[in-house]
Parts: sequence; C-alpha cells; structure tokens
Amino acid sequence: MRFGGLLLGSLVAAATTLAGTAQAADTIKIGFNAPLTGFAAADGKSALTGAELAVEQANADGGVNGKQIELVVYDDGAKPDQAVPVAKKMIGQDKVAVGVSGSYSGSTRAAAQVFQDSGVPYISAYAVHPDITRAGPFVFRTSFVGEVQGRAGAKLVGDMLGKKRVVLITLQNDFGKSLAAGFKEKAGDYGIEIVNEYQYSIKDRQFGPIVSKVAADKPEAIYATGYFFTAAPLVKQLRAKGVDAPVIGQEGYDSDKFLEIAGKAAEGVIITTSLDRDSDQPETKQFISAFEKKAGFGADMVAASGHTAIKVAVAAMRKLNGDVSDPAKLRDAIAATENLTASTGSISFNPLGEVMKAVQVQVVRDGAWHRHSVIDDTALLAPPSQ
Amino acid sequence: MLYLDLTLQGLIQGSMYALIAVGLTLVYGLLRILHVAHAGLFTLGAYIAVTVTNAAGSLLLAALVAVPLVGLAGMAIYRLLYEPIMHRPPFVALIASIGLFICMEEGFRLVFGPYGNSFGLSPVEGSVQLGALSMQTVEAATIVAAFGLLGALAVFAGRTRIGVAWRATVTDPEMARSFGIDTVKVRYLNFFIGSALAAVAGILVALLNNFVEPTMGSVPSYKMLAIIVLGGLGNVKGTLVASLALGVMESFGTIYAGHIMDRDAIAFLFLVAVLMVRPQGLFGKA
Repeated sequence: MRFGGLLLGSLVAAATTLAGTAQAADTIKIGFNAPLTGFAAADGKSALTGAELAVEQANADGGVNGKQIELVVYDDGAKPDQAVPVAKKMIGQDKVAVGVSGSYSGSTRAAAQVFQDSGVPYISAYAVHPDITRAGPFVFRTSFVGEVQGRAGAKLVGDMLGKKRVVLITLQNDFGKSLAAGFKEKAGDYGIEIVNEYQYSIKDRQFGPIVSKVAADKPEAIYATGYFFTAAPLVKQLRAKGVDAPVIGQEGYDSDKFLEIAGKAAEGVIITTSLDRDSDQPETKQFISAFEKKAGFGADMVAASGHTAIKVAVAAMRKLNGDVSDPAKLRDAIAATENLTASTGSISFNPLGEVMKAVQVQVVRDGAWHRHSVIDDTALLAPPSQ
Repeated sequence: MLYLDLTLQGLIQGSMYALIAVGLTLVYGLLRILHVAHAGLFTLGAYIAVTVTNAAGSLLLAALVAVPLVGLAGMAIYRLLYEPIMHRPPFVALIASIGLFICMEEGFRLVFGPYGNSFGLSPVEGSVQLGALSMQTVEAATIVAAFGLLGALAVFAGRTRIGVAWRATVTDPEMARSFGIDTVKVRYLNFFIGSALAAVAGILVALLNNFVEPTMGSVPSYKMLAIIVLGGLGNVKGTLVASLALGVMESFGTIYAGHIMDRDAIAFLFLVAVLMVRPQGLFGKA
C-alpha cells in the first residue's frame, strides 16, 4: 500500500511537472515532419537525428535568448495525405514558431501549402521538387532543387570527367526526373551525347534487364539517379555484369549504407551532394564527428540537411532576440539569412527562398566517401527565382 | 544476343516470382484464402539469413535455420490467424492477412531498424558463363532452385502417400476426411512447404541485392496475386509458367516500354490482356 501510494504520488508529481513545462512560455517550438515509418524511414531517421543534434547544440549554447528549443516531431510516412493533418496539428495545436521538413517532396509540398496558408515559416531540408518554394514567401529550402543538381551533374560528366557517350538510368519520381531534366538541359553545352535513357520505379531492386542493355550500349559514363537503396543494388549488379563505366550519382546515394550494400562495387562512384566528408570547415568537421557520436553511424547528406535547416531557423529566431510572436517577422529574418555557416555550406536565399551554395562532389575511395571536387559556378547553379 | 540476355534475365526474375507465388497458390488451392502475409514470410526469411550469416559466418547454416523457421512461422500464421476465422467469409481472412502483413513490415523495422541490412562480406561472388551469356552465380542459383524445388514438389505431390493425401484434400476435403486423411495435418504441411519456399526466395533476393529491408515484401505481396490469377488459381504448374512469362514480359517491357510505364504496370497490363482471352487463367479449368 505504502509503495502504491508512493508510486501514485510520484506519478501525480511527474504529471504536474510535465504539464508545467508544456504551459511554460520559456520554450520555443520547432515543428518537424519526417518519414519515420514506411519505405523512407531510413532517411527520416537520419534527418531527425541531424535535427535533434542541431537542437541539442543550440540549447547547450543558451537556446534562443535563454529560451529552450523544443522539437515537435511527427511521422508523415513520406505521404502527402499524412503530411497535411500533421502540418495542421503543428500549427493549430502545437503552435510551432516554424516548421521544418525532413521529408520527401510529395509530403513536403503538401505541408508547405498548409504552412503558407497559415502564414507560418516552413523550411524544407532536402526535398527537391521545384514547386515546394512556389507555395509562397513563407516557404524556404536549404538544399538544391533537383534541376540545379542535375546541371552540376552534366558539368561533372561532360566537362570535368570528359565523358561524352552517356546512358541515363532515371528513377521515375520527382527526384529522379528533375535531376535527369537538369542533366539533359545542360548536356548539349558540355558535348554530351545521351545514348539511351532507362526508367525504373522506386520499388525496383533488381535491374537485370537494364544492366544487360547498358552492357550492350557500352557507354563512357552512366548518370543514374536514385537513393542508396536503389542505387547500391544497381551499381553492384552493373559491376557484376562487367560494366565498368564510371557511375555518376547524386545526393540520394550519400549514405554509408550505400557503401555497405554495394561493397567493392562502390569504389569509384562519384556523386553530387551537399556534404563534404573531407571538409576543413570546423562547422562541418564538428557536425560529422558529433553526429557519429550521437547516432552510432556515419553522417549523411540527409542528416546534414536536417541539421542545416534547424540551424537556419534558430539563427533567425536569435536575430529576433527570441521574440517569435510575429511569424511574418520570423519569415523576414529567415529570408535575410546571409552566408550562415552550416554543415552543408554557406547558406543564403534567393527571392524565392531557394538556397544558393556550392555543390560538393564526392567519390568513393577505399570504402569511404572523399572529396572529389567542388562546383561553384554560380551561373550554372542559379536556382529558379520565381 | 541482347534478346537472349533479356530473356535470361526475365527467366531469373520469373524463377524468383515462382518460388514466392507457389506458396500463395498452394494456400489458395487448399483454403481459398488470399494469403498476402506470405510476402512477409519472404522478408522474414531474408532477415534471418542475413542475421545468421553475419553472426555465424556461414550462409549454409543460415539457410538451414531460415528455411525451417519460416516454414514454422507459416504454420503459426495458419494456427493463430486463419484457423479461428475459417468459418467467416473469405474477405475476412484477406483483410486479416493484409493487416498481418503491415504489422510484419513495421515489426521488421522496429526489430532490425529502418536502414535495411546487408551481408558483411558478400557470401556468393562470381559469375557463370553460358556460351556468350553471363550471369551471376546467385542468378543461376535462382533458376536452379526454382526448377529443382518445384520439380521436387511435383514428385512429392504425385508419388508419395502424403502427397496423394494432400491432393485429395485440395480436390475434396470432405471426401478426403471420410477416407481417414487428417486434413488439419495437410493444412500445416501446406503452410510449411509454401512458407519454406518463400524463405528460399528471400535468401536469394538478399544475396542478389545484398540488401534486406522491411518493405522488401511489398512488391511481391501484390504481384503474387497477379501471378496466381494468371496461372489459374491453385494451379502449381500454371503458377510456374505464369511467373516465367511475367518475368520475360517485364524484362522486355522495362527496356522497350519503360519510358511509357513501369514494370508493375507492364505486369498488370499483361494480366488484363490474358484474362480477357482466358478469364480462368492460363491453366485454370473453365
């Protein structure tokens, strides 16, 4: 009895404390939606861990003018229909000051419209669809639009590597298609001849027919769009078939998981991304080591992007001295971000809310991602401005 | 040459489909249940194989553990899920099966993590040369496994006493029971064999991709339905032929129609086209 009473008492005490913190105005809430279940759960977990790290670092650094930051996390399953109620809940019930998407394009686009309509700022960490920021002035993106990265890919293949006969293997979703569109847009400028283009769906892991056809095409290089869970089996199967043309990928490959699945076949794969593993920037180096310590696995592009998006939000709130009562002022503060040093580079926005930063080119050497080069051609990388 | 290569790739893919779909068609033939959760057992087989191989360093041991374990898991699904609702209309079992499949997918994610697992060291490397055609050893193994195991299954069903009892139960359970056949035992056997074959397929896919993920059963879960309808529900030979035909269709479709529609769309278009001519499936009885 005595024990039961004690337990009950402590439960009541705990409940009141919890209620106390929930009501206290000394925290600022940042909403965060990511796919924590379903096919994209791996990226969701990386993005969330990166975001949590950014919040912990900011809180350890005094929060925002003494106020602690609280991350309000929801699972959107990378589904648009799940993202809308989640966005409404973040705004209506949790009263978040700003929302951050750690999710894919479909759900991010859906949520972006809700945030725009409610006049609350929203930052997309790594979704690539060009229409996300076109939801309106309250929506920002801290990563590249697909087309921009595709253009960088064309420069890398045609100009920097000097490969002219190229086969495209394109993932049939907004990510793959927008990358391929950017690549094709600039391919002519760098003298690239596109021999063939093959399509696959995000559910595919076995590429036997495509691999056979590519072997017959004998290209000088392969520009294959995809995520680590499609690209690693693809690269493995290409190499097993004896196709040894360089494979050029993008930020979707950017994970230690890619190296693990593809094994030896990963050697020499080159990607365009936003995280430089060999960076000498203290911010990036510190992020990579802190993330590994927190997560227990290596940092990836998605994690760095989640970290960057939160950092942009926090920097804007600090600029307002923690007074986030007016979302329009917070929006303006985010828009005014200039050369903010983050793990994915130096962040500034164009009038549409698109990030302007350099593309990092990484290559797999001795079983690890390393710096290959950096593309900082501002004309080539100019994001859409309307 | 390219056409031969594409045909071969189609047969490899088709063999994979056959190994998974046979279990489904066996269950349908016996109990008239669309056992969607079968695709979850396929994933389970793959996970056990990767986990045991990485822990013990032996793929053979892993297969010896995974195949019977998954067979037992299939029996457990029958006992715990289907048996209690056998007297209800068939859609109840179908919905229960879909529910279980979703639970299994999320269960894999919770137990093994969302990132998917790989073999630490690829246990099977190398390729097999067949004249001018080449394929990975695992791919060759897939074809051999499909034909070997399904052939063995046909011999078992046709030549042994248990096999005869099994077929009798499929044809007429009442009559079989009156002849003293334990139809419940037959059901367990049915689930064991079908699930064990799914585990074999799971192991082969795991080796081929070097990647096992919680949602790896999602495509098989619905494509298997197309295959068993195509093959004539409950017909093992039809399932094998339908799997291979679908694999080859997909292989050519991916290359020559891939820019119009994806692999699954090609598969289902093929299904619709066949059903318009033969509503009972390729080998079903009219």
